[in-house]
Amino acid sequence: MSGYRFDRLKVLVVDDNAHMRKLVITILQAFGVTQIHEADSGQRAWTVLRESNPDVLVLDWVMEGMSGIELVQMIRTSPQTPNPFVPVIMLTGHTHIDHVRQARDAGVNEFIAKPVSVKTMMSRLVAVIEHPRPYVRTSAYFGPCRRRRGADEYRGPERRAESKQQAAE
Amino acid sequence: MARQQPIELFMPPNMLKAKVGGGLGGVDMAAMKRAEGALDTLKSEFGDWIAEDVKVLIAARARYAKTPDEASRGALMRAAHDIKGQAATFNFPLIARVAGSLSRLIGELPESQPLSLSLVDGHVNAIQVIHRQGIQDTNDKMAQTLCAELDARVEETLKPKK
Repeated sequence: MSGYRFDRLKVLVVDDNAHMRKLVITILQAFGVTQIHEADSGQRAWTVLRESNPDVLVLDWVMEGMSGIELVQMIRTSPQTPNPFVPVIMLTGHTHIDHVRQARDAGVNEFIAKPVSVKTMMSRLVAVIEHPRPYVRTSAYFGPCRRRRGADEYRGPERRAESKQQAAE
Repeated sequence: MARQQPIELFMPPNMLKAKVGGGLGGVDMAAMKRAEGALDTLKSEFGDWIAEDVKVLIAARARYAKTPDEASRGALMRAAHDIKGQAATFNFPLIARVAGSLSRLIGELPESQPLSLSLVDGHVNAIQVIHRQGIQDTNDKMAQTLCAELDARVEETLKPKK
């Protein structure tokens, strides 16, 4: 028994595929999550997010219109965001390292590479509860620290390409 | 040399942990079992779910064949990518593999180059056959041959021309 009070958790599930939403919601409900909101697009998710202010987002990447990545960027940086720190677990069929980097750079906290399983869903939920990452604010980025370890030890100049480019401008 | 820029690094209060507590006894095995049981109940619906995804793919293929523009190509890509992720979750790994091959073709072929409709059709037809025959075994010889052939044709198409 882990003792997590998942019944206190409010989760927003965003996927344009109704079946995938049903599957994720079924798993979350079995974990004991009772407060579940859902949205079938990035635009709708933004509205629901501002109305319900969830504790965790489970978000698909590829959707028509606003993608999951664009939604995360809005959550992290928009002045209208209800919570720029809300943990985002991204569901994705993308498995290439470049895609993982892209999502991480947008401010995604954790990934679930499809196929979705009970074990990975639980492990990512526990990860955002037990191992939250520090946040970073630079001229070019705001979001969870993109390094898994040792980020709090770094005190040097910005070295990321986009940051250097902005500094030069 | 890079100019010194302020980097603000901070740890927000862990409101989530404060809200749900717990964690002392490791993973809640009862919750995991409940979830596995709930998924088993859903599995009877997976075949119908994939059927609907395949219909979306067929419609996206028809749209691209009629009007091969950026929007229809994007819709075809989304349909293939959705099936790639969902079919694996819904216990149709070979459909996921074929959809992955189609996603790769659409995603990696420069947008300036039109998609070969015959190669798109090869993928769509393979997905229909695997679904119709309910092939869920990754060792199925016929499906493996089909997948390998499609992989090779995608590889050939994406190979830089000399």
